[in-house]
Amino acid sequence: MGDPQPRRLEEALARELGRILALVTLALIQVTLLTTPLGFAVPLVPVLVICRTLLGVGAAFPDLGLGRALRWALYGGLALDVLAATPLGAHALALLLAAILVAALSRRLRVERPAVPLLAVLLGTLIYELVLALLTQRAPIPWSSYTIVVLLPSVLVALVPTLPLFFLLRRLLGGQLFLQL
Amino acid sequence: MPASGRPFVLALGLCLLAALLVFLDRQGLITPARQTLQQMIAPVAQRLTALRDGAGDLATAPRGAAALEARIAALERENGALRNQLIRLEQARVENEFLRQQLAIQRAQPWTLLGAEVTVRSPDAGRRVLTIARGSREGVRPGMAVIGQLPGTPAALVGIVEAAGPHAAEVLLITDIASQVSGRVMHQGRAEVGLVQGQWQRGSRLQLGQIARSLPIAPGDPVVTAGLTAALNLPFDLAAIPADIPIGSVEQVRVAEQYQLAELRPYVDPDQVRYVWVILSQDD
Repeated sequence: MGDPQPRRLEEALARELGRILALVTLALIQVTLLTTPLGFAVPLVPVLVICRTLLGVGAAFPDLGLGRALRWALYGGLALDVLAATPLGAHALALLLAAILVAALSRRLRVERPAVPLLAVLLGTLIYELVLALLTQRAPIPWSSYTIVVLLPSVLVALVPTLPLFFLLRRLLGGQLFLQL
Repeated sequence: MPASGRPFVLALGLCLLAALLVFLDRQGLITPARQTLQQMIAPVAQRLTALRDGAGDLATAPRGAAALEARIAALERENGALRNQLIRLEQARVENEFLRQQLAIQRAQPWTLLGAEVTVRSPDAGRRVLTIARGSREGVRPGMAVIGQLPGTPAALVGIVEAAGPHAAEVLLITDIASQVSGRVMHQGRAEVGLVQGQWQRGSRLQLGQIARSLPIAPGDPVVTAGLTAALNLPFDLAAIPADIPIGSVEQVRVAEQYQLAELRPYVDPDQVRYVWVILSQDD
């Protein structure tokens, strides 16, 4: 019988490492396999972070679920920063703010309804893109054209995979393998 | 809903951490660490990008004899049109003069090119940036011009090196709104220098501005780099871009006060390139 304290620490570290590796892999997939010739990449990481936030808020232990979702946002954002050559922390901050907004707004909602993930991704992506624009674009930002050319298409592209990803994630998080992610 | 305020305290802490990282990276304090991580991930990213490009080729390749015949017919039509265009261009004295000038400049300033594979394209729709698998160890420096070529296009400017790590570099594409380079438009033997700015975030691709109204430019006029960015006193370190790199051609012209503005079609679509060349000897 070993000391249970170090063992728990090891398990926690292993889970955290697994979370980081999973998010780095997802970010890699987003920037390589999911880019389109039109200049838009399917925002896999942002959509998953928002869906994870919703599932975290709706979980039996919302504190734990939301904490995990926020760590997804940090790791996924940092991975995107490394891959997208943006200042380290820019994507992470954008994702964290989007996750916080979604968590705050969805507290009293039943996340199982299909409209909830769609609305959450719509709002979350909007916040994510706005924060990212403020952090990475040189001023002055031409907001009217930026909205038409970047913001609206990005939000629409994000909505396409939302429901499949949401229900897939819910299923995976319900399984033993992904229970701790 | 969360039972306590703990997640929001965690959120605040993580936001502060992210903001601190942004600040430190902007100060250049953790940029080497980011570039090292980028370098570690680059081989995997490069393979995945190649995989995706291969899949794209497979999806868009013509299938069956009928599709191939149609493709050949289209190419023959395009070839004929290009030949006609070439004859017209060759007959134009001014264009000949320009080509001689260009040739003279190229002879006087031989460029040393460094080939580089595109590893990652920016996942953000709001930024036109790509990462290439060459860096400062191979002589790549910020401000260097990056050219590309697609089938049927001349080798043309696609971007400028914005930052260089040891084995990877970030290239700001000319279509990004932050990209500004001096360009020279030619029309009937005359040339005028203006400013070529990216317009992707404004719904277009390139715009040529600050062209005096005394030179009537028209659709089809070619635009090349002027190599005069420093003379225009722009707040960017782009003075080393060589002159006479093709950029694109004029599509539409409109007049704004005492200047003309022209929408440009880039010769090479920066979003389509998979392999680029960095002009290393731009100072020669």
